[in-house]
Amino acid sequence: MSFLVWRLYRAQALIGLVLLAAFSALLLATGFSVASQWHSALATCTTNGGCGNLSNTLFLGSHAVGFLIIMTLGVPVVIGVLCGAPLIAHEFETGTRDFAWMQGITRRRWLLVKAGWLLLAAAVLGGVVSGLVTWWSGPDNALQADAFGPGRFDIMGIVPVAYTLFAMALGIAAGLLLRRTVPAIGLTLAAYLAVRLLIDQWVRPHYLAAVTHLYEVTQNWVPSGAVWQLGAGVLDPSGRMLPMQNGADIGPNVSVSTVPSVCASGASQAQNNQVGVLTCMQKLGYRQFVTYQPANRYWAFQGIEFGIFVALAAALLAVTYVVITRRDA
Amino acid sequence: MSVLVWRLYRAQAAIAAVLLTAFAAVLVITGLSMASQWHTMLLGCTASGTCGDLGATMSLGGSVAGHDLVLLSLAAPVLFGMLVGAPLLAHEFEARTTDFAWAQSVTRRRWLLVKVGWTLLAAAVWGGVMAALVTWWSGPRNALLENAFQPSTFDMQGIVPIGYAVFATALGIAAGALLRRTLSAIAITLGGFIGLRLLIANAVRPHYLGTVTAYFSPKLSTFTPPASAWVVSQGLVGKTGSSGVRGFATYQPASHYWPFQGIETGIYVALALVLLAVTYVVVTRRDA
Repeated sequence: MSFLVWRLYRAQALIGLVLLAAFSALLLATGFSVASQWHSALATCTTNGGCGNLSNTLFLGSHAVGFLIIMTLGVPVVIGVLCGAPLIAHEFETGTRDFAWMQGITRRRWLLVKAGWLLLAAAVLGGVVSGLVTWWSGPDNALQADAFGPGRFDIMGIVPVAYTLFAMALGIAAGLLLRRTVPAIGLTLAAYLAVRLLIDQWVRPHYLAAVTHLYEVTQNWVPSGAVWQLGAGVLDPSGRMLPMQNGADIGPNVSVSTVPSVCASGASQAQNNQVGVLTCMQKLGYRQFVTYQPANRYWAFQGIEFGIFVALAAALLAVTYVVITRRDA
Repeated sequence: MSVLVWRLYRAQAAIAAVLLTAFAAVLVITGLSMASQWHTMLLGCTASGTCGDLGATMSLGGSVAGHDLVLLSLAAPVLFGMLVGAPLLAHEFEARTTDFAWAQSVTRRRWLLVKVGWTLLAAAVWGGVMAALVTWWSGPRNALLENAFQPSTFDMQGIVPIGYAVFATALGIAAGALLRRTLSAIAITLGGFIGLRLLIANAVRPHYLGTVTAYFSPKLSTFTPPASAWVVSQGLVGKTGSSGVRGFATYQPASHYWPFQGIETGIYVALALVLLAVTYVVVTRRDA
């Protein structure tokens, strides 16, 4: 049976390997030059003391490779669409399962061996791509300190492996539900995007309670390391956030129109006396805040997100297994 | 024949209409709030005389959902090509419905032209409606950030998305005619579309029309050309005939925006026509 799976998927395996080899070659070739660029920039800025604003002046790598790195966001869903969705759907569509299920191999074994090998291959592919991207982005992560941010978090570390498994499981389940390849592909795409966006925007920020730091209106404060900043602004004495919409800035998070009337004798004069206005607001009890997830939670978040997507994949596969083994041929 | 095409594609048309409606609803709601925010901002900065550095100090909301959808619209053309274009012929070959269709009184030529014609029209409408919504939604952002000419912003506004959608669909149809297998055609459509789009956007688009180069004193760290220009390269050069260096910025001026949109759309429509001609020859000439 394992041999049969290999015979059926030889061509796909070859195409996958060629693409992966090309991607690895490009990333290895450019990755070493990025690393040496980074080390020479560090050596230079240490001698002239300009390491502080390095992130404003240094651009690592090239736009083309940077774009390719971002495109790896789509790798899991492409695998799910091209490999997961047809797995069962195509057999139904062409009627080959009528044949497959009549052989000496049980339906249970047919599903487990076929899905098992393909899931393993998908996980390896997702893992190798993610490993290369993580290695390549090392200097850039150190420079920009943005590895925790949405979009970057999603293409590095271990989460891409879980996304790939989830996309595969989604494709397999959609194929069983719809029994037609093209609709299964459409459903896989839509459901994958919806679940990923939903978790990205509304669930991930709450894996662990965010840290909020309060500080004086007259000062500047930035959390250290590659944090994930969720919000920032000014709180009035009753603890409500000031709107940050209209007009020109006075302080980091204060605009002319939100200055309390006690502190501003006319908005136009306030601009010429920024320190005075901010000191007055500080005395009234206004405070700035930054809400963020600290950098040392990065791997905890990777682990939680990995667990969620693997659990979703396992649930989808369990449903598929029950439906396939119980239904009439 | 046209009625038959409609009967075959009713479900797909309904799904596309639902998706477009949801897309339009989110963009209209978030777009209206962003537009009013923009007008308040303009009023505020006019009163205090600080409109000059508005782009550096202010940001427009527009909601997370709106931003995500606008970014996703980049993928709308290739989705249409993969899910509607690629199976158009490939699925008929695979399911052997061609044997039946071609045995009817409708000629193979007419069968192909009517089916492909309606599908391309639908693709153009799909790309056009999305582009129109994204262009309208982005109005305040384009004015604030002056980035409409930048790569990826350029690619989802104006008329180019129509060209992309028609091209992606033609690519799917041609891949299906040649490979006769749905899944392979879908993979080729995805890979071919992304590959060609990257190639044209990075290597060809900067050269549609001649660039303008401005020189400036090296004491200024950067130079910003007027309005929504597209800076292609920037750096330091040695001054010819004398010592010392000066900065340069090579850019496409904002006035080139619509010519560029026209040229890019033209290129993709021409590529689509070539692919459709190949498809026509392959389908009408081959033995049934």
